Amino acid sequence: MRIKRYMPVEDILQTVRQAKGYFITNTQRDLSQSDFKNRILLHTDLLAAPYREEAGYFSLEISGGASIHVDMLRKQVNPFLKLKLLRQKMPNTLFQTLCRGVNLFGYRPYPENVIRLTVREFAKYVEVWRVFDFLNYVPNMIPVFEEVKKAGKILEPCICFSTGPEHTDEYYVSKVKEILEVTGPDIILCIKNHGGLGTPARIGRLVNAIKQAFPELIIHYHGHNTDGNDIGRIVAAVLNGAKIVDAGDHALTGFYGPPPILTVIDTLEAQGIKAEGIDRSAVIATSQVLRKERLAYADFEAQYKGFDPTVQIHKLPGGAMGSSLEQAEKGGFLHLMPKILLEELPRVQKELGNWWSVTPGSQILWTTAVDNVLSGEHYANPSGDLKNLLLERYGPFPFYKPSKEIYRKVFGPNWKKIVAEESGLQEIEPVDLEVERKALEEKIGREPSVEELVLYLQHPNDAVAFFKFEEKFGRTYVLPPQVWFRRGGFKVGEKISFTDYTGKSHIIEVGPTHYTDGKKATHFVIDFHPIVLITEDEEKKESSSAPALTKEEIEALAETGDIRAPFNASIQKIEVKPGDEVGSGDTVIVIEAMKMQTPIESPVKGRVEKVFVKEGDQVKMGERLLLITPIEE
Amino acid sequence: MKKRAKFKKILVANRGEIASRIIRAIQEWGSEAVAVYETPDSEARHVVQANEAIWIGDGPCRDYLNIQKMIEAAKRAGAEAIHPGYGFLAENPDFAAACREAGLVFIGPPTQVVKWLGDKVMARKLMEEAGIPVVPGTEPLPLGEEGKELAAQFGKRYGYPIVIKAVAGGGGRGIRMVESEAELLAQLPIAQSEAKTAFNDPRVYLEKFLPSPKHVEVQILADEYGNVIHLGTRDCSIQRRHQKLVEIAPDMLNDPELTQKICQAAVMAAKKVGYVNAGTVEFLIKDGQFYFLEINTRLQVEHTVTEMVTGVDIVRAQLEIAAGNPLPFTQDDIIIRGYAIEMRVNAEDPKNNFMPESGKKVLVYYSPGGFGVRLDGCCYPGYIVPQVYDSLLVKLTVYGLTWEEAVTRLRRALKGFVILGPKTTIPFYLQIVDDPDFKKGIFKTDYLETHPHLLNYKEDEPEATKIARLIAEIHHRGFNPYAI
Repeated sequence: MRIKRYMPVEDILQTVRQAKGYFITNTQRDLSQSDFKNRILLHTDLLAAPYREEAGYFSLEISGGASIHVDMLRKQVNPFLKLKLLRQKMPNTLFQTLCRGVNLFGYRPYPENVIRLTVREFAKYVEVWRVFDFLNYVPNMIPVFEEVKKAGKILEPCICFSTGPEHTDEYYVSKVKEILEVTGPDIILCIKNHGGLGTPARIGRLVNAIKQAFPELIIHYHGHNTDGNDIGRIVAAVLNGAKIVDAGDHALTGFYGPPPILTVIDTLEAQGIKAEGIDRSAVIATSQVLRKERLAYADFEAQYKGFDPTVQIHKLPGGAMGSSLEQAEKGGFLHLMPKILLEELPRVQKELGNWWSVTPGSQILWTTAVDNVLSGEHYANPSGDLKNLLLERYGPFPFYKPSKEIYRKVFGPNWKKIVAEESGLQEIEPVDLEVERKALEEKIGREPSVEELVLYLQHPNDAVAFFKFEEKFGRTYVLPPQVWFRRGGFKVGEKISFTDYTGKSHIIEVGPTHYTDGKKATHFVIDFHPIVLITEDEEKKESSSAPALTKEEIEALAETGDIRAPFNASIQKIEVKPGDEVGSGDTVIVIEAMKMQTPIESPVKGRVEKVFVKEGDQVKMGERLLLITPIEE
Repeated sequence: MKKRAKFKKILVANRGEIASRIIRAIQEWGSEAVAVYETPDSEARHVVQANEAIWIGDGPCRDYLNIQKMIEAAKRAGAEAIHPGYGFLAENPDFAAACREAGLVFIGPPTQVVKWLGDKVMARKLMEEAGIPVVPGTEPLPLGEEGKELAAQFGKRYGYPIVIKAVAGGGGRGIRMVESEAELLAQLPIAQSEAKTAFNDPRVYLEKFLPSPKHVEVQILADEYGNVIHLGTRDCSIQRRHQKLVEIAPDMLNDPELTQKICQAAVMAAKKVGYVNAGTVEFLIKDGQFYFLEINTRLQVEHTVTEMVTGVDIVRAQLEIAAGNPLPFTQDDIIIRGYAIEMRVNAEDPKNNFMPESGKKVLVYYSPGGFGVRLDGCCYPGYIVPQVYDSLLVKLTVYGLTWEEAVTRLRRALKGFVILGPKTTIPFYLQIVDDPDFKKGIFKTDYLETHPHLLNYKEDEPEATKIARLIAEIHHRGFNPYAI
């Protein structure tokens, strides 16, 4: 029996509970994130939409995780519009999101009023809410739970899964109990195996243990195929009573995301268990459409092909595999990867408490391990997020605390005092939504919609950049990946046809290019009228390459008030303006790299002379940030 | 029947769209057109369109206003007549006189008529004599205390607000409104000194201000044989600071009897002054009453709407009349059918106080066409909005059998323009055509003041152009900088 969107929540849950077979969630969002660096465009999802609608999935996971951010940052599409457009083509299929609890769709905790507003707005378009916390700390998920219930949508809390001596069935069953005490029985429970860890036997035992404790509970198994064995885990989960499992369209499956749907269907069918509601031919037809499109995404697939069974050692989540390899290559430390992945990462993981390597914890583990190896010194450059973690500001350590040596290394000789004074769950003041709305209005020069405000509250700089992009370049989701990701320019005479968001057809023909005053000018014919388009001198920022300074030189300059970027980063927040007086140790600027924020403190007392950057800027290591004139004491 | 007289060659003493309009009529009529140009106009459309073109100086504007140079140019080209167009020398009696002294035909009314009607006070007096109602007003006020005294008396008698007008003004220039006696006495000397600077004539007079009237005008044609006919009315109520923005034929008074009376008064006015050639008699309408405003002794910008609803080529008629031919039709031949609306597509930024976009280049110019759409323009791809002349790109005139049809066609035609480069008044006009009051045909001279929200539009490039900009970025950089 197929699940359809118009069915009441209790009917859906009852149908799943009573079904003989099992249901499938098409985890397109996770597939895009794990195997294509989140780049699968709405254009492609719209092409696949009618076939996926026919296929009869329990749900299509198409929102959440990093996708809200990347939709705006790299795909220039409004995450709300994406859902609305897909809904037009998929009226019956439930849409599913992945929400990081108190971290929503970002990398650090949001104020409660922002969480509630965000869930309320997205719940208009999303029926299934998968919610997790990287420390499995249930209180961090409660505001989201409440809003999902209030909106009358399906709540799917997660237990994040990992391996090791602490990760016992008893522990997980107690976690499930803790969740059910908060939510009541009408939920779906997700076993979130973001790393694809454990053997099929291990997963089978876990599902069985939970089923024994809570026979009526619907279990949704989510895994990754990093080691190539997620089919095995899925089969074990279903045989032990899981009712919903995650998989992806085979034409797009890679190494770190979900395994192919069709393989799941056929394997379990041979065991006598049927995929409920599934139209097998529509599953195949979807991949027929997607296969052609995949070529356009080649640049975003992992450079290093092949499954990675060593994931059982380093435990990187599937969603972080591609970006980690990319960072290693760009950062020139690919040769150190065996050391990082097989030695340092497991060690850091253990030292920091053996909790779950998933956002934002996975980023903390990864950046710490990389820095430990690259700097040759352990915990020498702790990020702000690592400090917060150690102070248990994100939640208590589930199993054990890191050693005193680590605290001493990170916080210095006064660590005990700091820990005593600053430890404890972070209290985040609610933001004044009206003030934020006004600030956004100021930035975009028009009244923002509530949805735009929600996006701005998640990712202020990137949302504003996206709104400005949309104003300048229109709604570009209509362009296919072959155009969006084109490298090396277009051929003279090449015609680009598309249907704009209003439904009107257009043809843009590319003509010859020439140079004027160092700028490029190309003749186009748009809908039969000629136009010359000149691009601005956009490279000037990049060409002013920062002087190559060593870490020591940057620190020495900082002592004189010449604050430089300590590594390649983006400017997240500027805390001072010219004329301000700062004291030694005051935070002057917050920068972000690899999704980790690092506050930069002024090493001197003085007056801010000049600020060279603005929020949202990308800076290179050694680039000037601000100038402080020291004041003699 | 007597063979109709014709000129072999006619000089067009103007520039821009109206020069083109006149050149077309001359060439259709079977004559040759001579254009004149100042240096900034050397690549202008009218220069290439004419049969020959004569450079008259570096300008700017100076030479288009130079009577001597115009006459020399006409002589040199061997032209027999001069068409002054509108603006520049069109209503300058000295120019009419100089042409005639030089043995050239001035395509316009007799010199004396131009002179009389250019003097607003004289014109009012003549109309009063003819029994045509005029807005209560004064004689030209003497300078100094005496003038102030007379002004104060007028204010006491008729109340405020009052308009101070320059005798030599016109076309909306040299007008200011005062709300009280104190303001009147303060503004009077300023208005006088301004009139001296602007028109070289310090005389100003007062008129009772009619709050938010309708502006209706009548197109007149008169030949040398005493035939005076009218081509119906135009409604020019939608104005910005006394400058017409939208012009409609016929009027939107919805009162055929009143329209008839206005047209008869216009014919009477023309007869009273011995008018010859084309002219426009302007009236203000308030509470079912009409008041004479002024007579414009020239072809007007908005003549196209009258041409659309009557089928009469007014410029061609001007040539016929000037050549000494009798009008080729009578009043009974004139049938007004349907509605026409004209909008001036200017390279201006309505949101920035209609600031001209001078110096900007028109990168793309694509104009609408199809049934009922007429364009009189001087714009083309590559056209640079002049720093020194007006910012008119093209006049759009649409015709429709009904008002509703005309409005929907206007909307369609406005949407059909693709003009990239300078900002234009088109997005603002699109607001007007979507305004419920405009659609219902309800508007008076205070339309813009009572509809300020029409300026709150979003300026938007066509979607395809925006996307093409992104394609250009991808093309020029070799990758999509917004996807990396």
